[in-house]
Amino acid sequence: MEIQKTLNGTALTVAVEGRLDTTTSPQMEEELRNSIDGITDLVLDFGKLEYISSAGLRVLLAMQKIMNRQGKMTLKNVGDVVMEVFEVTGFVDILNIE
Amino acid sequence: MSCIQVLPAALCPAAASVLFYQCGKKSRFAQMPGMYKQVIYGLVFGLIAVFATESGISSNGVLISARDAAPLCAGLVFGAPAGVLAGVTGGAERYIAALCDVGAYTGVSASLTTVFAGILGAALRKWLFDDKRPVWCYGLASGTVLEVVNMLLVFSGNMGDVRQSFILVERYAVPMIVLNAGSVTLAMFAVSVLAGELSRAGRKKYRLQLAQAFSRWLTFCVVLAFAVSSLFIYMLQTRLAVDDADEMLSLYIKDVRADINDASDENLLELTREIRDDLERTGNFEESTLFALLKENDVSEINVVNDRGIIVASTTPEYLDFDMSSGEQSEEFMTLLNGEEELVQRYQTVSYGGVSMKYAGAVLDGGGFVQVGYDSKRFQRDIDEQVTGLTRNRHVGENGFMLIANEDFNLVSDPAGHEGMNLGVTGIRQHLGLNSESGSREKWSPEGGGRLLTEKVYGEECYLMYDVAEGYYIIGVMPVSEVVFGRDVSLYITIFIEILVFAGLFVLIYFLVKKLVVENIQRINRSLEEITGGNLNVSVDVRTNEEFVSLSDDINSTVDTLKGYIAEAAARIDNELEFAKTIQFSTLPSVFPPYPERTDFDIHATMDTAREVGGDFYDFYLLDENRLAFLMADVSGKGISAAMFMMKAKTLLKSYADKESDVAKILSSANTALCENNEAEMFVTCWMGILNFKTHMVQFANAGHNPPLIRHQNGSYEFFRSRPGFVLGGLDSVKYRSGEFELAPGDEIFLYTDGVTEATDVHNRLYGDERLKNVLNRLAGADAGNVCRGVKQDVDAFVGDAPQFDDMTMLCLRMIPKHMITIDPKEDNMQAVLDFVEQTLDRAEVPVNTAMKMNIAVDEIYSNIRLYSGATKATVECSVDDSLIMLVFTDDGRPYNPLEQDDPDITLSAEEREIGGLGIFMVKKTMDEVTYEYSEGWNRLIIKKKR
Repeated sequence: MEIQKTLNGTALTVAVEGRLDTTTSPQMEEELRNSIDGITDLVLDFGKLEYISSAGLRVLLAMQKIMNRQGKMTLKNVGDVVMEVFEVTGFVDILNIE
Repeated sequence: MSCIQVLPAALCPAAASVLFYQCGKKSRFAQMPGMYKQVIYGLVFGLIAVFATESGISSNGVLISARDAAPLCAGLVFGAPAGVLAGVTGGAERYIAALCDVGAYTGVSASLTTVFAGILGAALRKWLFDDKRPVWCYGLASGTVLEVVNMLLVFSGNMGDVRQSFILVERYAVPMIVLNAGSVTLAMFAVSVLAGELSRAGRKKYRLQLAQAFSRWLTFCVVLAFAVSSLFIYMLQTRLAVDDADEMLSLYIKDVRADINDASDENLLELTREIRDDLERTGNFEESTLFALLKENDVSEINVVNDRGIIVASTTPEYLDFDMSSGEQSEEFMTLLNGEEELVQRYQTVSYGGVSMKYAGAVLDGGGFVQVGYDSKRFQRDIDEQVTGLTRNRHVGENGFMLIANEDFNLVSDPAGHEGMNLGVTGIRQHLGLNSESGSREKWSPEGGGRLLTEKVYGEECYLMYDVAEGYYIIGVMPVSEVVFGRDVSLYITIFIEILVFAGLFVLIYFLVKKLVVENIQRINRSLEEITGGNLNVSVDVRTNEEFVSLSDDINSTVDTLKGYIAEAAARIDNELEFAKTIQFSTLPSVFPPYPERTDFDIHATMDTAREVGGDFYDFYLLDENRLAFLMADVSGKGISAAMFMMKAKTLLKSYADKESDVAKILSSANTALCENNEAEMFVTCWMGILNFKTHMVQFANAGHNPPLIRHQNGSYEFFRSRPGFVLGGLDSVKYRSGEFELAPGDEIFLYTDGVTEATDVHNRLYGDERLKNVLNRLAGADAGNVCRGVKQDVDAFVGDAPQFDDMTMLCLRMIPKHMITIDPKEDNMQAVLDFVEQTLDRAEVPVNTAMKMNIAVDEIYSNIRLYSGATKATVECSVDDSLIMLVFTDDGRPYNPLEQDDPDITLSAEEREIGGLGIFMVKKTMDEVTYEYSEGWNRLIIKKKR
């Protein structure tokens, strides 16, 4: 998994490439927690995300809770596979997906 | 002597027939072309005819020989051409012989007969006997007919002298007929004996044909009518001839008697007139005058009777005063007193004195009359001169004659010139009552005669008749042969004509019966044979006459009705068979895939029955989770019985499979049970295997079935041949051996019945083992259903339009190839697991999106095992086939069924949501089926996803 972060003031865009699974999710969580302070607008670009497992969902849920407090979190370019996971798990209702 | 002379030629046809018959059976002669043989037959029999001519007896211009036998025999026994050739040869030679004056009298008729003999034999054989050798009695008949024709030809050829030709015919007819007919009969009889037709078996084989039965009755009736008419003609003609002879002799005798009487009467009257004239001249009737006249005229008696009828003067004093009207003889003279001038009486015995006298009277001028009488001595002296030789030149008919003898039976007139001798010289003795032959003891007497008598006269049997005139015996004689000649001619001719008419009738009836009845019956029979042979579409159509039309119509309507019934029965049977087929199919596993939850194997079977119900069957069932029994069997025979036997076998095999674990024992037990009460002697071949999924070993046993084909992963199909045991149901107490082979994941086994390998195409070629192996190798790796369908298609393409006679049944069991890695869950080797699954899916060309979902599942499940189960060993299997992706996770950790965990509430807000349980929830949602089981210390989670 590769993570590319673009900081523009308080807006942070994180592009994730590869898989967000049990193995990679801790790394993703750590990256986000390190760079989320003071960010009001978190954009997750999932255009190159192959799939996401429950471990990844756990990270997204944690981030969403944080961003609910300090701004907003938006997901964009969500692919079919990932979208299906969101729909199955009810995450479409709690995530802000463009 | 004469007999011996003609016999060799008469025996020749028999000898030649026997010789040729034996040669015809074997030897090189038998292989000659038919026409050459005919020529040889014809020439040999022609030469026999020539030999017969040369060895014949020539007499009176007639040649007695057995010449006609040879051509007839050739025609009847050996064939038409041979007969004609022999006839022409023999006939030509006979004609030439006649020109050289041998038997010239009958030359033309005899040579014609010989040619006719050949033609007759040929024609009879060709048209009457269907070119087959007839039985010997036809030889007898045709020989007889032939000689009759010969005799009639002699007749008609010599009409100028019927008597002469008839005498010849009468003399030679019987010898010729016996000789020729006997010769032909002997030849045909000899051949019949050689052919064994006269033995009991031969007779049994020979059934009387209709035409022959007709002919036999016809023969009987005609011969009877023939005998009766001949007898009648014989009797009638004899009677007529004898009457004619009687009449003729009477007439002749009457003539001669009249001559004698006339001469005698005239003589006495002349004397009487002279005496009267003398008496009138002298004018007195003195005794002396009368005696003088008596002496002068040498008479015995002179009486003068007055006008009252009283004797007034007589040379015999006792007669004086005798009243003429008082005596019977004298009373006749009373007419002289009533106007008659003269009277002469017959020479007769007078009552007075008992001597024979003849009287005459002449009227006197002065009234009354003179009566003069003289006795036999004087009378005979007077007329012997006139009578002697009176009949010398008289003929009665052609050879008959007249005799005259006096009172002492001394001949007075005889054409043979024996005058003066006793009548005995002619051979006649019966006048003395001495004819012992005729049995007549009656002596001839002047009062007798006038009847027809028979006696040998001058050595020849004759009819004779006598009468008496003036003391003479007048005898008419006619030879019997001349009397009955007419009768004999008509009798012979009648018999001959009757024989010909009979022969003609016989042939005609034979032909008519054959044409009108036998041939039609044969036509009907041929049609019936076809009908009984199964072709009900044949119709009988003989329309020559009313009876056959109605018979044909009856047969046709019967066949039509039968057809109706058969069609009805066939429809009913079809229905029942269709029903039976449904039942039969319903007993076989027919829902595919049969075990959709099983991902480790794939089984498919098909059955195509040639007829509605067949004897093939397959079966498979899970004995328990780890053991699959599968089998292929073929019952001998077809139809309902085979289907019922199949049901029994199938049920037995299944019930024993439930009890026994050893395949050999299952087959042995089933065999014992099938042998019980197996009166239909049916049997079943069977190949049965039990697959153990744990060990991947198949235990099998074979009861006479075709070897299966097995393919190991990455290999190709090969026949798996093992020594088969005996068929089931064939012999009680047969022991079966079981064997084992491995059927690992990726391996396949194909079972079939011989209907597959023995399917034939339009050229009658077998589909065979090679084609089956090749098509299976083309299909290798496809799922079981496609393998079965593919093989079926290939067989169908091979067979084409040729009809299928056998059931075609096949079963394919395929171990789905397994992809599995074993991992140590204590270490983080998620990537290895993912790589394994991903590669597997990639090889199976699973779409990326599906693969991603599978990855998620692997991620979730494997994480759980690694993090929470405490397992020390785990395996992940991944298998993919055409329709399904399956993942199996096995671990030895704590028993834990993730499916029992409650689903998370996915309607809660982000703040409220628990993160736990989401992984397994996701798997359940995105996969099609997730199952969990725990056994023997292993957790096992199975995930299935349709492709």
